[in-house]
Amino acid sequence: MIRSVARKRLLTAVALVTGVTMFAAGCSSSGDPKDDGGSGEARVLNVWAGTQTPVVANFNPYAPNPLHAANGAIYEPLFYYNKAKAGAPEPRLGEEFTWAEDGLSLTVTIREGVTWTDGKPFTVEDVVFSYSNDAAKSPFLESAEKVDDKTVKLTFNSPQFTGEVQFLGTTLMVPEHIWKDVADKATWANEAPVGTGPFTFDAVTDASYTVVANEDYWDGAPKVKKVRYLGVDENQSAENLLTTGKIDWAAMFVPDPERITGPGRLSMINTPQDPTVLYTCSTASQGCTGPQTDIAVRQALDLLVDRTEINEKAFAGQAAPASPTFALLGRDDRWISPDVEAESPQTADPAAAAKVLEGAGYTKGADGIYEKAGQKVELTLITVAGWTDYNTVGDLVASAAGDAGIKVTHEQVTQQEMSDMRVAGSFQLMVGGITGPSLDDPFQIYRQWLSTDYTQAVGTALESGDFNFARYSNPVLDAAVAEAAATNDEDAKKAAYATIQTEIARDLPYIPIVVNASQTFMDTKDFAGWPTEDNLYAFPPSWSTVSLGVVLSKLEPAAS
Amino acid sequence: MRFFARRITFYLITLWAAISLNFAIPKMMPGDPKQLFMEKLMRKGIEITPGMQKSIDLLFGEDDSSLWDQYVSYLNNIFHGNLGVSTTFFPKPVTELIAAALPWTLGLMGIATIISFVLGIAGGAWVGWKRGTWVDHVIPASTLLQALPYFWLALILISTFAVTLQWFPVIGGYDIFSYDYGPEWSWSFVGSVIYHGTLPAMTIIISSVGGWLLGMRNMMVATLSEDYITTAEAKGLRPMRIARTYATRNAALPSIAGFGISLGFVVAGSVVMEEVFSYPGLGKLLFDAVRENDYALMQGVFLVITVAVLAANFIMDMIYGFIDPRTRHNA
Repeated sequence: MIRSVARKRLLTAVALVTGVTMFAAGCSSSGDPKDDGGSGEARVLNVWAGTQTPVVANFNPYAPNPLHAANGAIYEPLFYYNKAKAGAPEPRLGEEFTWAEDGLSLTVTIREGVTWTDGKPFTVEDVVFSYSNDAAKSPFLESAEKVDDKTVKLTFNSPQFTGEVQFLGTTLMVPEHIWKDVADKATWANEAPVGTGPFTFDAVTDASYTVVANEDYWDGAPKVKKVRYLGVDENQSAENLLTTGKIDWAAMFVPDPERITGPGRLSMINTPQDPTVLYTCSTASQGCTGPQTDIAVRQALDLLVDRTEINEKAFAGQAAPASPTFALLGRDDRWISPDVEAESPQTADPAAAAKVLEGAGYTKGADGIYEKAGQKVELTLITVAGWTDYNTVGDLVASAAGDAGIKVTHEQVTQQEMSDMRVAGSFQLMVGGITGPSLDDPFQIYRQWLSTDYTQAVGTALESGDFNFARYSNPVLDAAVAEAAATNDEDAKKAAYATIQTEIARDLPYIPIVVNASQTFMDTKDFAGWPTEDNLYAFPPSWSTVSLGVVLSKLEPAAS
Repeated sequence: MRFFARRITFYLITLWAAISLNFAIPKMMPGDPKQLFMEKLMRKGIEITPGMQKSIDLLFGEDDSSLWDQYVSYLNNIFHGNLGVSTTFFPKPVTELIAAALPWTLGLMGIATIISFVLGIAGGAWVGWKRGTWVDHVIPASTLLQALPYFWLALILISTFAVTLQWFPVIGGYDIFSYDYGPEWSWSFVGSVIYHGTLPAMTIIISSVGGWLLGMRNMMVATLSEDYITTAEAKGLRPMRIARTYATRNAALPSIAGFGISLGFVVAGSVVMEEVFSYPGLGKLLFDAVRENDYALMQGVFLVITVAVLAANFIMDMIYGFIDPRTRHNA
């Protein structure tokens, strides 16, 4: 008897609890509002910039991984360098700048009438502080001095024409009155940032963070009043959020973008920037071993790969043609020397490759593989397992080379192993990327990826900031790089680049494959003012530092 | 009494061994977290300025003291509740990250495991009771569901219910579009949590109910052939009373032991499921920590999982000792 009474009570209790929770769920799911809660509320812009959960509140521009809004939406630099198209830098917090003839000093005029979001005025002292504080100071900077209330002068210890974009375009201005008391500038989380940018900090949770429009912004208050950055862990989830209408701005690779843009709310813009190449350990005198140290083998490989097929099969046709000059075709046309082929061959030419090899003394052995002086042309090609686009490139290159008489073995390794190999130089061929420059000038690549100063012998690990993984060492190139670095005259630079391009187009230390796609999806139905193919006023991706601030300040809700 | 004392001592020793292993194993893993971190930045196309280089060096600071000193300070830190600072989610301390993630994992996984256990036991009892009839066919169907990979099932559910039909949300533990200031104690928030937890819970329930069902059904069939069941039937008790009070309770004993173990592993969360749903739980933290070679976070999460498994086992041991007198008397 007792048992059944107890059981009745238990059942009643369970039913009650279930009923209440169902009721609550019912209450809220009908109130699961869209972001325009009421008819008077403005539409919130939902962005995914690549942040994952849990979102950590860190708006410190000197930290290695601050939240994206810090770089451009909250803090700004003096000028904006648009790497999406050729052109002069746009004034932001700076108005004009002049170089001294010798490149040892730079004078900048500062915009007046700008205030920080805490009300204090933006002054030259803030600019001086932003260059000279211990977290920001560049080893090339001698001093930053105030000339008068509107002008600042930067003095360098060597000609810094090529450092222009770092100093004027990516150094962010921070308020001296707040940062001077911070003991450890690199590790401070800066949870309530004060900046001059179009947006200010609103809230941070584990799952997202929001910024609201800065009504006193010097360029006019932004028309989009609130931006929400989401934390999403998987690309697939971000894609689902795009298709279900929850995200308005995201940048990621999607092989079939029509599926997402088809319904009509979203548009896609593709702005390829970073070349994908075959790294080769190229210079025997630096310690490289293997057939790829012979120029003829590298030239043959360059002629053997079918870039059109690779673009279709590995990059879903979304990549752009590469140039052996590493200048971005279109944007950087003026820098390309007329003596060099601007575009890498887009189809395979095994006959030409055979001619190159045979002209260098290689003969085909009985097994169909070329050999010279008893050494067969057998190479190993490394890619990271799981990076499917590179894996496909590796497979296609290996089979094309194999058909033509060069034995290429495609090996897949972990990311850690790949990193160790390229830093130490213990590889023969590797599929990898080159980081594109931050402005419309390929010089950064010539210096950091190709000059002897930025490499080490095989066996010695490269330091951070050195990207010459190919161990390329060419005194002609080094001299031309030094020449180009010391001048701001466009013709002198073009002459130096022409020398560089002749060298690398012949030597091919990095064999170009394609220029990687960079797809950005934007909600063109609910918002207007996005960068378009015709009006590429900024580099479109949602994660792009400084550009994102420019785009956000120009967006407005579409008239409905 | 001696039974309990022995058990407690045993668990304490196991706990110490687990903590020591937790310290030693990550130290033996290959890979340099600093290099990996810089790779990540370079892949994103971010330039490493001198200021950033300084902060990276600070983050991954080298510890040159001897292994024994490190061990002692590690134990000391644990007892003071200091689990270090995470490098992946710099500068958040590990204790904060785990404290934020733990309720979500316990809530979702705990409730889902309990629901699947209850459904499995009830279903297994019913199938066992009705042995020999068409109901037997439920078993292969449910074990088929069990064989489906978690990950694939989660993706199918999302693709069908969240993207195509849009009945359920795509990601999140709660509605991230409405609660910009974080979780709050209100009925609508509770409702949002339940709404967002439905699909992840379904993934877990669908893929694990089969195991409980099968085990329970087998035990049920074995129990039903016992003499005391025949006696009960002969005495004239109602069939439902026999099923509930005599058969199920005895048949469930092994499953309860298994339940204790699986309850301990609840804390590990379902790594893949949390990654796919961006669910803010412990499994996701573990996944990120291992991927980024974040030693402090890894050790913290391993510690929590180990302690939870041991605690759950201990509690289940005690409960088992209570509900089944036979274990006590022979101890």
